[in-house]
Amino acid sequence: MTHTVQSEPGEIFDIELDENLKKANDLIADENSRQLLKHGVKAVDVMGSAGSGKTSLIEQLVLLLKGKYRMVAFKGDLTSKIDSERIANLGIETVQISTGRECHLDANLVRKALARVDLTAVDLLFIENVGNLICPADFRLGSDKRVVVVSVTEGPYMVVKHPLIFADAHVAVINKIDLAGPMDVDLNKLGNDVREINRKTSVVFTNCRTGQGVRDVASALGIEPPP
Amino acid sequence: MHELSRTSQIVEAVLNEAEKQHAAKVLEVEVEIGDLTFLGLEQVRFAYKILTDKTIAKNSKLTIKRVRGRGSCGGCGYDGPLSYLDDPQFHMLVPTFNCPRCGNPLSISAGRECIMKRIRIMK
Repeated sequence: MTHTVQSEPGEIFDIELDENLKKANDLIADENSRQLLKHGVKAVDVMGSAGSGKTSLIEQLVLLLKGKYRMVAFKGDLTSKIDSERIANLGIETVQISTGRECHLDANLVRKALARVDLTAVDLLFIENVGNLICPADFRLGSDKRVVVVSVTEGPYMVVKHPLIFADAHVAVINKIDLAGPMDVDLNKLGNDVREINRKTSVVFTNCRTGQGVRDVASALGIEPPP
Repeated sequence: MHELSRTSQIVEAVLNEAEKQHAAKVLEVEVEIGDLTFLGLEQVRFAYKILTDKTIAKNSKLTIKRVRGRGSCGGCGYDGPLSYLDDPQFHMLVPTFNCPRCGNPLSISAGRECIMKRIRIMK
């Protein structure tokens, strides 16, 4: 004889889940990483506030490295194509990733963009993240390196106000150094702020309008510039 | 800043599980959110209330357990809380990711979580 046990209406149950809400993104980030590795593509995730100089940095890196590396750029943005057009004008393939109302790129969007590109014909991929220093920290994309760009025109507290983004940053670029005087910003203090938060993060000072310091950014990323 | 999208994820996971369990009502939800996620907990609560409004999780109690940042050092074996910058000009605590004991870079072992721990349902 079989017995059937049922729950009664009104019975209360506790259900243990332990569900990691970041897992879905992390799994896709790992997949992206494998794809990139398989094709020998080095991917650099460039983060920074709106106006800090992310696009300018990528422009300068593209100009510096053009003779030696085959490059592609992804640009995450809410709606405009302004930045991706700047990079496309340098003659490299760009993929615009529309993030809609989201404040960060995620691994899924990057995966979709990767599918649009012939990875066998690429050495170097620059991914320009959305202009914000808070949310991208929580969403890995599967890139090899993460760069954070802060500019002198954002004032002296940008680093200490956004500590978490430096936890995973390989390079911190402190840009617009030519304006440190008028802004009364102490460049060395900004650099020290980064080191106090994360000793592993290399600090490079740049002027991305003139290209000053960009060679050092490439070296810090492990990308050897042409002689 | 992405409290709404994270909370949407929480609510979706809650409702999916509740449906799987043939629940009539969701009474309570417990999540663990790491301090290093910098998610605004009040905003998460507010978003939760709005997102559960016309669902079986309406009026359910959301318990958020905070997880403090911790790191481990490959150099000296330190395994413990992070250290924070102590300058009086900061009105927030600034976490650092260097070992408080030897100064080498730490691996973060806790504080970045966003985990759905458990739900309490009524059938």
